[in-house]
Amino acid sequence: MNESSREAYNAARIKALESLLIEKGIITSETVDQVIDFFEKDMGPFNGAKIVAKAWVDPDFKQRLLEDTPSAIAQMNLPRGMAGAEGEHMKAVENTPDVHNLIVCTLCSCYPWPVLGLPPYWFKDPTFRARAIREPRKVLKEFGLDIPETTEVRVWDTSAQIRWFVIPERPAGTEGWTEEQLATVVTPEAMQGAAKVQVPTSI
Amino acid sequence: MKLQHYLGGLEGLGRINFEKRVFVQPWEKRIFGIHVAMMALSQHLETAKVTPTKFKSVWTWANLRKLAEGMNPFDYFKYRYYEKWLGGISSFFIESGYVSTIELDAKTEIFLEKSNTSLPHNSKPEIDAQVIEYLRVGDSPKCNADIKPKFSVGDIVTIKNPLPTEHCKLPGYLRNKKGVVDVVYEGVYNYPLQTGDGVGDPMPIYSIKFDSHEIWGNLTEPKTWIYADIYEAYIENPI
Repeated sequence: MNESSREAYNAARIKALESLLIEKGIITSETVDQVIDFFEKDMGPFNGAKIVAKAWVDPDFKQRLLEDTPSAIAQMNLPRGMAGAEGEHMKAVENTPDVHNLIVCTLCSCYPWPVLGLPPYWFKDPTFRARAIREPRKVLKEFGLDIPETTEVRVWDTSAQIRWFVIPERPAGTEGWTEEQLATVVTPEAMQGAAKVQVPTSI
Repeated sequence: MKLQHYLGGLEGLGRINFEKRVFVQPWEKRIFGIHVAMMALSQHLETAKVTPTKFKSVWTWANLRKLAEGMNPFDYFKYRYYEKWLGGISSFFIESGYVSTIELDAKTEIFLEKSNTSLPHNSKPEIDAQVIEYLRVGDSPKCNADIKPKFSVGDIVTIKNPLPTEHCKLPGYLRNKKGVVDVVYEGVYNYPLQTGDGVGDPMPIYSIKFDSHEIWGNLTEPKTWIYADIYEAYIENPI
């Protein structure tokens, strides 16, 4: 099968499956749309970005976030369900000039849904999963991050029930920014340790 | 051994596709949504038992993983992430008798010929409410049981090397390796199914710290550590 007929087949196959599940009363015509909507509006990386921004401006909050991630998040005004599916047991780790953390799930694709939404393709890529655990510095270099030899690298393999995310380093040039402004520059990649937070030059 | 359990550390793979999208084809969202609905309607959940759905099975991550780990390992790398889900979930519905191969193939033909054919209409707000409520409440594996952890922070431990099973929670590269207990997580955790290699019943979980140089031998990267979350069943005192 060539690429376009492979995708056309997949698209028809999934529509056939969804259609039969609706006909048979397993799900409704709205179920799948509602799930997609939930991850577009309620649970996504925009929540994580707000958490990180707050941690950057409020050292006490950051301390609580590192010590007891769920209870610190619960104090924020975020949508109901921050300890919901794939967020039941979350933990945050902090990147500093001395320690760089990178998250990987070598067995599958475990990811903290409520704070980060769904995992991007690079995180699910078998090549990333294979290499990040063996040669994280080389992988990070390919992603554009040069980690100095003096900085310790910690790779977290999500192999049980904890879902990890990273508080990235606050970038220079953001002094005096509000939490709202800071949240706009935090990316899912930075919150898994695969990128640094960049400040757009146009700001 | 099963290749799917030994992905971590595999060499000779080349560059990573740094694709930042979650879905690269619109249809991928649909299979994701179906999987979430199945988890939300799984009959091990009390709230799902009283939801008016015709879904009468247990469906968790463990079931999806079992299918992924049961694949021919070379096929595993031929398909994109959500293609594996589509294949696995379709076979589950066929094998469990919810749909037949004939009707699924026939419907696929219809949608291949006329891709704008609309989906059937069936409304049952209780089903949709349960799906969203599941997403907000979750399904925590943490349970109340009076079980004391066997290991303490600072203990040097060895990771066991159990026989491969249908589904395994132990990354292959850690087998027979020594590490140090970094954190003993509070409480005990069960797993949705018995993996056959010790995981299933409530037990403690540990964060174990490993020196990358000891794991990989040939590592040229300085100051690199691996932290893995390991079920107690996979840990023993050093041999």
